[in-house]
Amino acid sequence: MRSLDRLFEESSRSLARRTSRRSLLAGLGQILTGAALLPLLPLERGNRAQAAGSKAAVDDPQSCDYWRYCAIDGFLCACCGGTTTSCPPGTAPSPITWIGTCHNPADGRHYMVSYNDCCGKTSCGNCACNRNEREKPTYRPSRNNDLNWCMANADSNYHCSVSVVLGPVPPGT
Amino acid sequence: MRASATFALMLLALLTGALTRADPPPPLQAEQLTVAQLPPASPHWVYVFDEAFDNEIDARVDLFDGDSYRRLGQIDAGFVPGVNLSPDGKTTVVATTYFARGSRGTRTDVVEFTDNTTLAVTHEIVLPSKRAETVPSLFNVAYSADGHFVYAAYITPAASFGVLDPVHGTVLGEIDTAGCQLVIPSGPNRVSSLCESGRMLTVTLDEHGHESGRAMSEQFFDTDRDPVFAQGIPTPSGYAFLSFLGEVHEVDLRGPQPVFAAPWPLVSGAEKGVWRPGGVQVGAIHRSLGRLYVPMHKGGEGTHKDGGTEIWVFDLASHRRLARWQVRPQGLAPVLAVQVSQDAAPILFAATTASDVAVFDALSGQLRHIEKHLGQTPWMLLN
Repeated sequence: MRSLDRLFEESSRSLARRTSRRSLLAGLGQILTGAALLPLLPLERGNRAQAAGSKAAVDDPQSCDYWRYCAIDGFLCACCGGTTTSCPPGTAPSPITWIGTCHNPADGRHYMVSYNDCCGKTSCGNCACNRNEREKPTYRPSRNNDLNWCMANADSNYHCSVSVVLGPVPPGT
Repeated sequence: MRASATFALMLLALLTGALTRADPPPPLQAEQLTVAQLPPASPHWVYVFDEAFDNEIDARVDLFDGDSYRRLGQIDAGFVPGVNLSPDGKTTVVATTYFARGSRGTRTDVVEFTDNTTLAVTHEIVLPSKRAETVPSLFNVAYSADGHFVYAAYITPAASFGVLDPVHGTVLGEIDTAGCQLVIPSGPNRVSSLCESGRMLTVTLDEHGHESGRAMSEQFFDTDRDPVFAQGIPTPSGYAFLSFLGEVHEVDLRGPQPVFAAPWPLVSGAEKGVWRPGGVQVGAIHRSLGRLYVPMHKGGEGTHKDGGTEIWVFDLASHRRLARWQVRPQGLAPVLAVQVSQDAAPILFAATTASDVAVFDALSGQLRHIEKHLGQTPWMLLN
């Protein structure tokens, strides 16, 4: 099954590169992926998004309303010792992920966002956030935030989630 | 007279005191420490899946009685588990993960069997470290209809499933499902999975649990425009899957290939895209009455995990909506999960975003009880 897993993983990444207004992002995503990137985490956080909606909240990395969290599901690493793009000390980023598309009100563009999970410690428990724009069920893993994307880590416990901007969605895609 | 009355009262007080002193209450008897026994199983029991989201390595299942409103006991469930019941209801199966050092260390995936008459774990089967770690559904781990096999969904994220022998405690094999996920059991030896293409893969097993055939269905829903929730609802002939926009896809799984009924809507034309189902366990069906219960809310794209502010009741035969039960005026937060007992005096259970579990008369909609904080994050109800 290992070779099968690899095959599926590659095809998933390929699919993720092709799907949802991407292309440009693909290249960008690949670079980032190689660097650290991947995944997001999952697990339904039913109705845990905090309401706010103010302009300040839209720009606040510790607010569930932050624009780039449009499809995140988990604890915000920015509330757990990390940032929107860094895992907290002592944790490890997941090597697989899924990707969402979020609208940045500051420049009016849509961006590809990689929702990586940070792994190896138990739940952070702070700033739970569940938003599901364009999110799809588990049978579409490249678009799903219900899976534990720490699943392939040596330490697969889930701690928190980051959101890494991969690049703008090309016009017309 | 006043002096006489006072004297009489004093005498009475003295006598009473004397009596009291002479007749102290008996001492408490020595007590026996015991372990409580479960009463006989009831159709009004419900097993409440608690993800324990803030500390996910400690999920559990609480057994709750919808008549006495008492918690009867607990089954431990580890990290992001899959949970289900055996066809006879006598066993709870938990597919879970443990780490050697509590929150870290070597990962062990395991399926544990609990005797529902004692709530004690009877035995386990160690799995390859591939178990699907995802939100609860009836299809993360499941029994065959005759109880002969247990199926465990694997996602690495490559999709496959394990076939287990629950009696002998062995893994019989692993079957690749080529991009289709979860284990939807039917009959004694078939497993279906939902595919990224909107199709359903059905694998047939031989008596040894090995694959003897497979069939891919036609596409029965659009995964982009209107995907179905993965949480299917058992029907007499298979399962009903609800779509994000409120279409009901009934699937007959009695044969080697699924048969799809024409989908029908929960919402009118005016309601479509406005009202929609949402939550985690998005529906329950009383199979002999043919009633479907769905938590519904007002919302747009991306609200498919929002809880229901109302519970809508439908007749499965006529597709007619029978009732709309508002939950907020009754002191309830939005509903994330519903389950209905299958007896003639049915109870509807509803778990909310406030972690409460409400008990309704499933025929009239009368709210009978709210059990506050039944766990931390109750996301699925089983019976």
